[in-house]
Amino acid sequence: MTSFFLKTLIALMLGFASMGVSADGVGIQIQNPWVLAPPPNVKVMAAYLEIKNNGEKPRMLVNVSSPAFEQVGIHQSVMHGDMVHMEQLKELSIPSHASVMLKPGGLHFMLTDAKKPLSIGDQVPMTLTFQSGEKIAVTAIVRSGPAEGMEDHQHMDHSGHENHKH
Amino acid sequence: MKNQRGALTRKSLALLLVVAVASAVAITAFIGGRPDNDAVVKPPVEIEDYLFWQAKDLTDFKLMGADAQTFGLNELKGKWSFIFFGYTHCPDVCPLTMGILGQAFKLIEKNPAAFQEVQGVFISVDPKRDTPELLKEYVSHFSNKFTGVTGDTAQLDAVSRQMSALYTIDREPGKPVDVYQVTHSSTIFLVDPQGRLYGRFPPPLSPQEIAGAFINIRAFYNERFKK
Ligand SMILES: [Cu+2]
Repeated sequence: MTSFFLKTLIALMLGFASMGVSADGVGIQIQNPWVLAPPPNVKVMAAYLEIKNNGEKPRMLVNVSSPAFEQVGIHQSVMHGDMVHMEQLKELSIPSHASVMLKPGGLHFMLTDAKKPLSIGDQVPMTLTFQSGEKIAVTAIVRSGPAEGMEDHQHMDHSGHENHKH
Repeated sequence: MKNQRGALTRKSLALLLVVAVASAVAITAFIGGRPDNDAVVKPPVEIEDYLFWQAKDLTDFKLMGADAQTFGLNELKGKWSFIFFGYTHCPDVCPLTMGILGQAFKLIEKNPAAFQEVQGVFISVDPKRDTPELLKEYVSHFSNKFTGVTGDTAQLDAVSRQMSALYTIDREPGKPVDVYQVTHSSTIFLVDPQGRLYGRFPPPLSPQEIAGAFINIRAFYNERFKK
């Protein structure tokens, strides 16, 4: 009983930690934020997550920062035939009732100059600032790669409202 | 003066034509213009997309690895080499591809004979920032099957051009000299044990796809060339 309670509590906490519920609770939702674990000596990394806009108006992400890095930018890897290069975006628009997925090989937050080495399991706090002035705090987890079964977020429920039987 | 200009234009036109024809030939070879040659054995359908219609002999090249080890065509011979061009300041596509390739090697390990013949080669096209020592540490993160190498521009071009793996250093005005991105190829190239460019794996990739295709490619190859 205790262990069930604890598990639920932990699940809830983890859920909220990675959710970033906005003030009104129905605006922007951040899901599954993670950072690809870097090889040794590498200070440039990428963070990935899904930004959901449950509101009626489109939202514009204008800035991302992290105390763990000197600089954070909104980036996109773009393919031209076989060639790939990265572009920096000034802002990222999230249409109403839609979600934007940052994932390997596409959109990502480029994290430049880590202040200290990071390894798998470490937490990376980030702050997302929207044009409205709203700030959302997010904690990304350093992972070795996209976690199994995390590809399809439609079937994931971070809210902890329901009791899943596994 | 006028004549000179005319001559110059004709000369550059001729040059343009040569480049165009060369490109056409290269592209045809690359995307698989099938030579009317019975000696070319049609590969099984499940691997034909990965293979060049005609394996291409590579000419020697010289790159540098850690501990002053040179790396050239000889180091490719006798192995199946998975070659990727990138740079360590690349946070997204490079570690992603290297991770996938490292996992593919793990899957190939289930076939010990195949695994023994496999190597990965990470060629950094950013020699200003990527020293061979740094590359050694970088590649070991993904698999101990990897060698990290680089060279000066001429040395890099000598390899990359043979594989049509173009790259450019994208400097931005106003940014510090050591802050720049690199545009590079996203394909993994496969060189056979004879040192010939044999196949390629374009993205998007999965470890399962690479490992599965490689086992079949190797079987097809061994049927024709071994014993
Ligand atoms: Cu980037």
